[in-house]
Amino acid sequence: MKLVTSMNVNRLTDVIWEIPKTEKPGMLVPARIYGTEKILRAMDAGVFEQVTNVSCLPGIQRYALCMPDGHWGYGFPIGGVAAFDIGHGIISPGGVGYDINCGMRLIRTDLTLSDVKPRLDALMTELFRTVPAGVGSKGFVKLSRRGLQEVMRKGARWSVDQGYGWDSDLTHTEEEGCLAGADPEHVSEQACQRGMAQLGTLGSGNHYLEVQVVRNDRIYDRHAAEQFGIHGHDQIVIMVHCGSRGLGHQVGTDYVRIFEKAMKRYGITVKDQQLACAPYQSQEGQHYFAAMNCAANTAFANRQIITHQIREAFRTVFRESPEELGMRQIYDVAHNIAKVERYEKQDFLVHRKGATRAFGPGSPDVPESFRKTGQPVICGGSMETGSYILVGTEKANTESFGSTMHGAGRTMSRAQAKRTVHGATLQRSMAERGILVKAVSMSGLAEEAGIAYKNIADVVESVDTAGITRKVAELLPIGNIKG
Amino acid sequence: MANTHRFRDEIVLGDLAFEATADSVSELFAAAALAVIEAMADPLSVKTKWTQEFRLSEIELGDLLFEWLNTIVFIKDTHGVVFHDIRATVSHDSEKNLWHLDAALIGDAVDATRQDLRTDVKAVTKHLYEVGQKEGTWYAHVVLDV
Repeated sequence: MKLVTSMNVNRLTDVIWEIPKTEKPGMLVPARIYGTEKILRAMDAGVFEQVTNVSCLPGIQRYALCMPDGHWGYGFPIGGVAAFDIGHGIISPGGVGYDINCGMRLIRTDLTLSDVKPRLDALMTELFRTVPAGVGSKGFVKLSRRGLQEVMRKGARWSVDQGYGWDSDLTHTEEEGCLAGADPEHVSEQACQRGMAQLGTLGSGNHYLEVQVVRNDRIYDRHAAEQFGIHGHDQIVIMVHCGSRGLGHQVGTDYVRIFEKAMKRYGITVKDQQLACAPYQSQEGQHYFAAMNCAANTAFANRQIITHQIREAFRTVFRESPEELGMRQIYDVAHNIAKVERYEKQDFLVHRKGATRAFGPGSPDVPESFRKTGQPVICGGSMETGSYILVGTEKANTESFGSTMHGAGRTMSRAQAKRTVHGATLQRSMAERGILVKAVSMSGLAEEAGIAYKNIADVVESVDTAGITRKVAELLPIGNIKG
Repeated sequence: MANTHRFRDEIVLGDLAFEATADSVSELFAAAALAVIEAMADPLSVKTKWTQEFRLSEIELGDLLFEWLNTIVFIKDTHGVVFHDIRATVSHDSEKNLWHLDAALIGDAVDATRQDLRTDVKAVTKHLYEVGQKEGTWYAHVVLDV
């Protein structure tokens, strides 16, 4: 298969490819794509176009990156990583995505497949009832305007203070579930209105809640797995994928508009309107950063409340407390975010859009319990094939701005998936394979069929070979809730 | 030619792109809005128990359409509704150099047990966004983040 680009793409290693900065007018740095040759050849044209557009943005440092799960996005490709000088570089909502702090959370249990299988139907029904999903879904948390501001400032800490979680959840969350610099003053009235009723909801699209099993033969790094609380033996874990819901979406919408106007003032031109940006140090840039942190904190609070609901569902079905069931959070990590991070004694504003932070051993930003292993990296695959937990490495810190993949990455459009698979048929077929799916939308279910995604094992092999994360364990689905 | 829209899955993988075309600006706004509401739920499965009227104004026609489509997304989230139909009338005030939209959204509260719900549209993006007129036909190219 030929590459779907006429640009020169040079092999640096078996899993790192570089597009020189001579390939497009305006490129300030080269673009690098991670992936095996097979992954690279299967990438859509949007990846090559968009990662090189990113490399033209003012203040970009070293290279624009795309991870092996990369595919067409808007502005940045999904899987995109770019670091900017915090003095003269930009900040762009297109480098974060509309779903600010869309991310992954993984919860372990002491249950095994043999405990859960006889009650799987009851469990998935209870989870489907207690965790609202789909278009227009509302959560059980009733917020005042003041309460929402507290959520935006405190993130997951707010949820735990309300009784929706444990203190140990916070220490096992990126930034302890609260980004500094969140200022609700810079979040619009519209964004607040969209966010008021949605705390504790999954959303739709590729968001999900999944019950998974860890088999002994799918643990690849026994030491790291044990540190994470994963021991195999058909152990049950629960994965959550969602973000900041309407509040974050509106923050993205608001600031793309603001930045379009600001760019004229600052004399910035971009290759795609969706790359609208402003200098990070400008008033507009700082306001977006403050609002983005509010949305990110709302996402942490959202996943924390969902965690509480999951624990309550397990309590109902298994008639034991979440503590007795060993339902400790392994980690929660964002994959749509912009953060100031320090590499080689210099601060950068790192944008990750569909890419995960992957800090290695010894990093002070990694929880004490993972200081020796590195940070857990949670990667969601398709609901048919499975997901992975990886671990961050020192090499990620030196090569990829502490970043790695976030999921499988799509290869098929939503419409094509629906033409290929019927939702109800897929649901039946998965049930026959031991995967129970509860979905609000059958068409939405078809859009998320396994055939619409890359083989996550190939994607994981790419980052493992590149050394920017190491494979720890594969997590196989047995139950899935979809919006 | 009637107003129409078609989803263009050759453009995007994870999101939804559509092209709306029409003979008039009002019909274009109706066609684009229908694409957005169809992305959220099958309009035929949604009753007509709820109506809200709007008046929006912008200097640029493209900005007005963008505002209109984002309003639909906003109303979906804040009112917890999906839509059966829309009405849209666009006019131009040459004295004030403003485009006006008088529109109505018609639908019902979200109810997964009665409605064929589809995708929760997050945002209307500016990626490949284009509004214009070609050979007498009005067109809009829009990508929705879903």
